[in-house]
Amino acid sequence: MTTTMLLRPIALSDLPALIELVGRAGVGLTTLPPNQIELRKRIEASEATFAGTTDPRDGLYLFVLLEVSAAAPAGKLAGICGVAPAVGLRQPWYSYRVGQVVHASQELNIFTQTPTLFLSNDHTGHSELCSLFLDPAYRKDKNGVLLSKSRLLFLAQHRGHFADRVIAELRGVTDANGKSPFWESLGRHFFSMEFAHADYLTGIGKKSFVAELMPKHPLYTSFLTPEAQAVIGVTHELTRPAQAMLASEGFRFAGHVDIFDAGPVVEAVVDDIGAVKASRLVPARIVDLPNADGVAHLVSNTHYGDFRASLVTLPTGTQACPLTAEVAALLKVKDGEDVRVAPLSTRDR
Amino acid sequence: MLILRPSRIADLPEVVRIAEASAIGITSLPPDRDKLYDKIRQSVESFEPDRDVSGEETYFFVLEDAATGRLMGTSGITAEAGFHDRFYSYRNETIVHASQELAVSNRIHALHLCHDLTGYALLTSFWIDPSLYDTEWPQLLSRGRLLFLREYSQRFGDKIAAENPGVCDEQGRSPFWDAVGRRFFNMDYPQAERLSGGRSKTFIAELMPHYPIYVPLLPAEAKLAIGQLHPVAELPFSILLAEGFDADTYIDIFDGGPTVEARISMLRSIAKQRRLQVTVAPDDVAAGRPHLISNVSADGFRATIATLKVERDSPVLLPPAIATTLGVESGDAVRVVPL
Repeated sequence: MTTTMLLRPIALSDLPALIELVGRAGVGLTTLPPNQIELRKRIEASEATFAGTTDPRDGLYLFVLLEVSAAAPAGKLAGICGVAPAVGLRQPWYSYRVGQVVHASQELNIFTQTPTLFLSNDHTGHSELCSLFLDPAYRKDKNGVLLSKSRLLFLAQHRGHFADRVIAELRGVTDANGKSPFWESLGRHFFSMEFAHADYLTGIGKKSFVAELMPKHPLYTSFLTPEAQAVIGVTHELTRPAQAMLASEGFRFAGHVDIFDAGPVVEAVVDDIGAVKASRLVPARIVDLPNADGVAHLVSNTHYGDFRASLVTLPTGTQACPLTAEVAALLKVKDGEDVRVAPLSTRDR
Repeated sequence: MLILRPSRIADLPEVVRIAEASAIGITSLPPDRDKLYDKIRQSVESFEPDRDVSGEETYFFVLEDAATGRLMGTSGITAEAGFHDRFYSYRNETIVHASQELAVSNRIHALHLCHDLTGYALLTSFWIDPSLYDTEWPQLLSRGRLLFLREYSQRFGDKIAAENPGVCDEQGRSPFWDAVGRRFFNMDYPQAERLSGGRSKTFIAELMPHYPIYVPLLPAEAKLAIGQLHPVAELPFSILLAEGFDADTYIDIFDGGPTVEARISMLRSIAKQRRLQVTVAPDDVAAGRPHLISNVSADGFRATIATLKVERDSPVLLPPAIATTLGVESGDAVRVVPL
């Protein structure tokens, strides 16, 4: 049996491995708090969402990336990612919109542009890419892009479950001790807690409580420390690859930042996302030997609760998807059944 | 004896001397001859008894040494703060950020740019010769205005305010300005102050931050300057506080100095003053208590301090010297209030 990286919906049986994985993530992985009860809630929410037994306003799709091999036929947990169908419909969703005000007087020959932060609920109802984390040991062989982008095939395939626009919050700058210069300059004055604790409260679904303690009036950015001003809209070093990946798919920073660490929120129109536009349905063909010609493609089945995705080498523009019986079984597709394919790299589309 | 009277054009050289001696922060006394000339001229017009008042009036008083003719101080009243325009202040506000869920409750101090004091009568231009600090004459210079204000109450609204200089160093550098205004003006405090001094403050509207300022975000030095009085103004400030002015709500948008305000009818001197008829005594009156006393003329307004015996509803017996100073005769009205 060859080794295959496979994405599937999360299951409660993934909990122990997930706890171990999240324990390594540290501060900043807001949506996955290192708390067994919370993680269990997340998994149950995801299962309920796939089962259709939850209110869409509470919806959450979580997927795990598994390394399936002879040694671990059920798969070894390598990473996790998620999509929320709609944010801010249960609790308010807050972000700061970066704006500016101009103070000018021709008479006095004064013209000053002052950046501002406006508390907004602008992303209410948008879908959100969230909860991405890949085990550092697996940060190789295109695993990162597979993990992040295979969600986009799910979005394309089940378009009706999602909003027209999708966002992703990128982790903002924190120092080695988990301190956020933005938080130290702003949030700290309005609370009496550390950034890590606010971040944790957010992760367990209390972000709107925290947000309600934040300043409601627009802020003049120039009143913040230079350190804080410097990190507005700046991505944490470790999150830059994720940002580059999202950018290549068409996600753009449109002036919204996180209210706690000022990390950028990137956004895209779902139908304009590169992988969504490039993806096509082609029939699967069971073959004896894996196809060696072509480039890496994201391949997923068209199922909902049994969604599976993986990477397969295919010629660009292929009219069919040759799969070995082994991979077809992992993807849960039969010969002749449609699969959704998209070249992994934007260069190959 | 010192008397408080409306200024005259002939006072100009003395007023220029005073303006040059006055500290930074008294924007209503710019050390500029032309502006001071205009100020006196406007005041002379404002004091005209049959003036058809519009709210534009500015009344400028001087404290004159009756013996030498030397001017020992100045004070003023603006009929309506921000007339023809808005009068800007920062209002101290408390915003409570609380969450039961998170067991957090924080009271956040914020400054809100406002026009609340627009249309208030405004006490201005207070300066007194330092040699008189420890005398009763500052009372005359400051509170004598209130007797005029009471006599001509139809020329004023119900409320009154007074700006007081905030803290700054010897170079005129204001920590409040440096933290707030400078970000929007790109100029230093004395320069901005000069620009606003003799003219309308319209331009401020376009340049100062309109959204509330969260005080916790300001540097410590600027926080301390909020509502903090410049030591040079302790004397006039203490007189206003004793009158019942409230210093907690408003501050100056430039230097953060306290802007005090009150309802005119609630001021101590207004509440306690009386309008009485005069009987001029044949010679000096022995017993009594010191009082502020003024005549009831507009352009001929005079006020001074005299030891008087004042009784309810009976004419006040006035020593001849005081009667002469005030220009009153038996049967005329005066206003008196205990010092």
